[in-house]
Amino acid sequence: MTTRLKATKKSKAKGAKPRSTRAAMSVATSDKETVKARVAAMAEVPLAVCESDKDLQSMLSVLRDQAQPIEVRLAALQSLQAATFSVVAFESCRSDYIATLRKVATDPDLEMRQRVLGILAREKDGFAQRKLLDGLENPDKALVPPEKALQLLSYDIHAEAYPVARKIVNNPPNEDAKLEALRLLAADAKSAPVFEKLLRDKNEAAEIRQVSAAALQGLKPEKLQENAREILLDDSDYDEIKATSLTALTQFGDKDQVDKDAALKKHVNRISTKGGAKVKRTARQFISKYGR
Amino acid sequence: MNVELQINNTINSQARFLSWAPSSCRIRVTNPSGAITPTVTIRLSSTSAATGGAVVFRNGTTGAFSNTLTLTVPINGTSVPFFVAGKFGRPSSSNADVRIDARLGTLLVGSVKVMVRIRKNANDLTPAERDRLISAFAQLNNQGAGRFADFRDMHTNVTSPQAHGAPGFLPWHRAYLLDLERELQNIDPTVALPYWRFDQASPSIFTLDFFGVSNSVGTVQFSPTNPLQFWRTDGVPGINRRPFFATNTAPPGLRTEAQTLALGNAYPAFRTLEGNPHGSAHTSFGGFISSIGTAARDPLFFLLHCNVDRLWAKWQRQFGRFNPAVAASFDGAANPVGHNLTDTMWPWNGITTPPRPPTAPGGSLAASPCVSAPGPQPRVSQSLDYQGTVNAVSRLGFDYDDVPFS
Repeated sequence: MTTRLKATKKSKAKGAKPRSTRAAMSVATSDKETVKARVAAMAEVPLAVCESDKDLQSMLSVLRDQAQPIEVRLAALQSLQAATFSVVAFESCRSDYIATLRKVATDPDLEMRQRVLGILAREKDGFAQRKLLDGLENPDKALVPPEKALQLLSYDIHAEAYPVARKIVNNPPNEDAKLEALRLLAADAKSAPVFEKLLRDKNEAAEIRQVSAAALQGLKPEKLQENAREILLDDSDYDEIKATSLTALTQFGDKDQVDKDAALKKHVNRISTKGGAKVKRTARQFISKYGR
Repeated sequence: MNVELQINNTINSQARFLSWAPSSCRIRVTNPSGAITPTVTIRLSSTSAATGGAVVFRNGTTGAFSNTLTLTVPINGTSVPFFVAGKFGRPSSSNADVRIDARLGTLLVGSVKVMVRIRKNANDLTPAERDRLISAFAQLNNQGAGRFADFRDMHTNVTSPQAHGAPGFLPWHRAYLLDLERELQNIDPTVALPYWRFDQASPSIFTLDFFGVSNSVGTVQFSPTNPLQFWRTDGVPGINRRPFFATNTAPPGLRTEAQTLALGNAYPAFRTLEGNPHGSAHTSFGGFISSIGTAARDPLFFLLHCNVDRLWAKWQRQFGRFNPAVAASFDGAANPVGHNLTDTMWPWNGITTPPRPPTAPGGSLAASPCVSAPGPQPRVSQSLDYQGTVNAVSRLGFDYDDVPFS
C-alpha cells in the first residue's frame, strides 16, 4: 500500500469526510458544470484534495489543461494552494504539485504564470529562480514583467540578482521595476550609498525616496537618522519625505541623540503647527515621544 | 481611612487589565484612621469615561455579577478577595478609561484605573487603537532586527508540521498569537491583537494608514505617516500581498462564520476549518501570506489567525468545549508529536531533536503580569480553557469582543 493511501485510511479513521465535499469535488472537476459552479465548488475542497490520488490527479489535470476556462484553472490553483496549509495531509501530494507548477510556469496566461511563479519562488524553487533571472537578463525570455520578476526573486536573495537589479535602478523600464530593484538591493550592504543618494534627491518620486529610507534604515540606521534630520531642517523638501523622516525618528531614532538635539526639536515644534497634515500628525507623535 | 485595591492580585500597575473572564482581586485597609470598629463596610463601584469600558463585580468564584459590590473589610490590613470582570459589550478604547472606586459611605477611600482590554474586529478600531497597534508591531519588527524575527522563524516550511494538518493546529496557533500579543503588550500594554473578520468586507483594514494598499505588482504601499513602511523581514523591506478580491468586499468562496460553527459539535469535524475558511483566507491573496513558509512575514497573518482563533473560541462557547477531559473538546490520541493533549508545544519547549525542528526560536512563551497561565512551556491542553471556565487559574488573559464569559 502506498504512503498516500495509508495517509488516506488514517485520515478517514479520524472522521468521515462530509458528503458535500465529495459532491463538491465532483462538480469542481466536471466539464459539464458551469464555470461559476465549478469555481464555487473548488473553494469547498481544499482538505479533500489529498484524500485520494484520483482527486489529486483530477485537480492537477484541471490546472494543467489549457483548454479549461482560466477561471476554473485559477480556482483549482487556489484550492490546491489552500490545501498546502494542511501540511501533514499534503505532504504526500507535494511532489506532484510542484512538478505541475513547474509545467504551468510557462502557461500562455500571464495571471497563471505570475501566480505559479509566485508560489514556486516562495518555495525557493531553483527552476523558478532561473526562469525569472533569465527573463531579466534576456527580455525575450521573460515570463512576467521585470518588476514582478524582481519582486519574486526577493524571496530568496542571491548575489547573482544584484547586478541586474543595479542595471535596472540605473536604467529602469518603468518606475515599478525601479522600486522592486531597490527593494531587492536593500539586502545588499554595499548599496547603502545608493539609497542615501536617492533619499536626498528631490527629483525622485516619493515612493522611491520612501523605499530608500526604509532600506537605509535597515542597512545603516545612523545614516538614516542623520539624513532624516537634514531633510526635516530643509524647508524646501517635500511633506511626504518629511513625514517619513519624522516617523523613522519617532519609531527608531536614537533617543539620547534626539533628546540633545535642541535645533531639531525646535524645528519640529514649529512644523507641528505650520506643516501639511501628514507632517503635523507625525510631528505631534515626535513631540509626544521626545518633548518640545 | 485608605484602602488598597489589587487587580489580578497585585498592586503592579502593569496588571490593571481585565477581560470578560473574572480577575481575582483583593482589597485591604492600609490606613485605618477614623475607624472605630474592627471591620468596615466598603462599597465598590465603577466610573467609565464616555467611550470607555465598564466592569462588573462578584465576591466569589460563582454567582451573578453586579455593577456594585459591598464587602466587609477588617481594619487590621487583612486582605479580602473579590472578582472583577469587563462588562460584556463594553470594552475599553484607551488605557485606564474605567475607574474602580471604593467608598466608605460617601467617602472615597481608594480607587484604581483599569482597562478592559479585548481583542476586537480590526475593521472597527478607532484611529488611536489602530495607531497604537501598528506602532507596537513596527517596534517589535524594529526594521527586521527586532524580536519579530523569532515569530517569523516559528512559522516556516520546516516547522509547519508542529502547527498544521493535525489536531494541534488550533492550540498551537492560539499559543503563537498569545506569545506575540504579550510581546506587543511589553511595548504597549494597551494593545490587544485584533481580528480580520475575513467573511465580511473590511475596507478599513486595507488602507494606507493601517495594513496598506497593494499596488499592481502586489507590493503593499503605506502612508508616510505609517510606521509599517519600515517593515522588514528576511533582509528585505516591504510586504508582498496581492488580493485576489476587491478589498472593500470579503474574499469570495470562504465559509461564513455560521457555516464554520456548523461544521460539527465535536472537534474532529470542527477543525476542518483549517482548509476553508483558514486555508482559503490565506490563498485569497498572492504574496507572503499565501504560502506557509512566508505567511508570517506579513503582519496581516496575525489578524487572519486571530479570527480563526475567535471562531474556535465561539465554537467552544457554543458547545461548551473548554475541558480537555471531554472527548469532544479535542481529537483523540496517537496524533503526531506536538498534537496530543499532554504534549508540550514547540518552540516554547525548546526541544530541537527529531521529530521536532532543528531550532527553537524565541525561547519560552512570554509571561503576563495579569495571569500565570499557560506558563513558559505550554502543553496543548492548556490552550483550551482560555477563559478559566473549568479552572480559574487556566485563564490566559484575553477575550474576544463577541464571545462572552458565562
